[in-house]
Amino acid sequence: MIQVNHLTKTFGEFTAVNDVSFEIKPGETFALLGPNGSGKTTALKCLVGLMPPTAGEIKVDGLDVWKDARRAKSLMSYLPQYVNFHDNLTAREVMQFYCRLRKLPETRIEKVMSGPQFHFNGFTDKPVQQFSGGMLQRLGLAVACLPDAPILLLDEPTASLDPERAIQFREFLTTLKQAGKTIVFTSHVLADVEQLADRVAILVQGKLVALESIAALREGLMLSSQMRVVLPQADEKLAEAALVAGTREAVWQGNSLLITSAPETRMDILAAIKTAGGDIVRFATEEPSLEDIYLNYIRKEQ
Amino acid sequence: MDINAVITIAKQELIINIRNKWTLIFAGVFSVLVLAISYFGLLTAGSIGFQGFTRTSASLLNLVLYIVPLVALVMGTLSFTSEKSASELLFAQPVTRGEIWLGKLLGLFASMLTATLIGFGLGGFVIAMKAGTAGALRYPLFVGFALLLALAFLSLSALIAALCQRKNRAFGVVMFLWFFFVLFYDLLVIGGTFFLKERTANHFIFASLFGNPVDMTRVASLMVLNGKEIFGVAGAALTKFLGGEVVSILLLVLGLLVWIVAPFLLSQRLLKRQDI
Repeated sequence: MIQVNHLTKTFGEFTAVNDVSFEIKPGETFALLGPNGSGKTTALKCLVGLMPPTAGEIKVDGLDVWKDARRAKSLMSYLPQYVNFHDNLTAREVMQFYCRLRKLPETRIEKVMSGPQFHFNGFTDKPVQQFSGGMLQRLGLAVACLPDAPILLLDEPTASLDPERAIQFREFLTTLKQAGKTIVFTSHVLADVEQLADRVAILVQGKLVALESIAALREGLMLSSQMRVVLPQADEKLAEAALVAGTREAVWQGNSLLITSAPETRMDILAAIKTAGGDIVRFATEEPSLEDIYLNYIRKEQ
Repeated sequence: MDINAVITIAKQELIINIRNKWTLIFAGVFSVLVLAISYFGLLTAGSIGFQGFTRTSASLLNLVLYIVPLVALVMGTLSFTSEKSASELLFAQPVTRGEIWLGKLLGLFASMLTATLIGFGLGGFVIAMKAGTAGALRYPLFVGFALLLALAFLSLSALIAALCQRKNRAFGVVMFLWFFFVLFYDLLVIGGTFFLKERTANHFIFASLFGNPVDMTRVASLMVLNGKEIFGVAGAALTKFLGGEVVSILLLVLGLLVWIVAPFLLSQRLLKRQDI
């Protein structure tokens, strides 16, 4: 659906996106993750045709975003990080404008605005200047949903939403995902990424440092799953038994054995400890969050 | 070119400007100016009362040459350098950058046209009622030149917006441009003639007209409003230089059209590969 080949974007001497390539399949939800200034918004703006690439090419459904802009853009809907409209227009007028621009039937406006996820009740015909940041964001999303385009590009979509709205928004994106939309979004909110994304591209200083599914990311990292096994007392024999059963690393912390291993080997490891004479008092697992993975990549790159 | 998209953007621009009250404020200003100049125009000669169209237009001309470029530059800069986040959403739609830019220009022109027609129309109606309709046919021509001048400066504001991108910087440049065209340009031209021989200096002055849309509008308007009487010897020399009165007016209109088209095309060229 989207092919990004050797995308590079420079601003003078500064390289914001450095030779990035990836492909996004139809119906996939794809997250661009990275610290501030990592180039994720710039990459998204290149995708949507707001910034011409310095080098490389971007194709949407085989159409070059820059050379065949009109047709390529008709397949996409974009929600910028900060949404702003002219203060003296009402929400309905904003929707009408974008509806006419895209030559859509005006019946789409009612259909989209009446959606429970937008909560425009009572505000549809009020000037935008009376809208809060969250409401503006919702109006922006309503504009993005107006054309029913197969591809949605969202830049930090939950950034200005309160927690309740952010949850509702995630649920809404999940319904769009289930409806087969291809969704590309940037985010700092790791909960969004963990819940929604099929695959994640991690950008650090403009370079693509990881491009994998969240599960594969976790799997590929040595810090993956940890298990804390509490025993009556430390005994090296038990650690050795755990290592034989598939533990990558076993470290004693007081009378707790901290075990790093793949999740599927946990039961075997516990059984091995018990067989070796370990009287397990209790155990707890600690899943690595996406934040751990993300920070690990950043540290590695920097 | 998607005409539907251009018209949609132009309509939106007109609605925004009318709601911003800019259009109505300028309509009010134009209307008050027309009526005040018509009524008080002969105050220094010891009389007051509404004067006819020709005398009012001639008196109004200098004020129009100051105000119209300023209004066009301010409105144009506000629109062409609108909030980045609003621009992002618009430029991400399946319309070309040229269509967006043209739509904005036409919408701005429609706002200026509305303000001018209301302002000058209202004033003109009162003058017609009070002082008669003599010279009334020349009054719309004078308004037409004011509109061409507005379009030229809107086009310049599009160019400055494309060059500067940021609103604050663009405002600084357009203010300089306004001072340059309205005040400094003539001083520079007069200063330049000191270094030239008389015949060359004359030709230089006549040719320099085409370097300033304000001067072109001034001369074209005066030619339309009984040029010979107002211009005297200098006017006769100018019309001779340009090839007669009608040809002179046509050349000046053509010059204004170049000032409308050239900056706008240049702004589109700059915008084509700019980051939004």
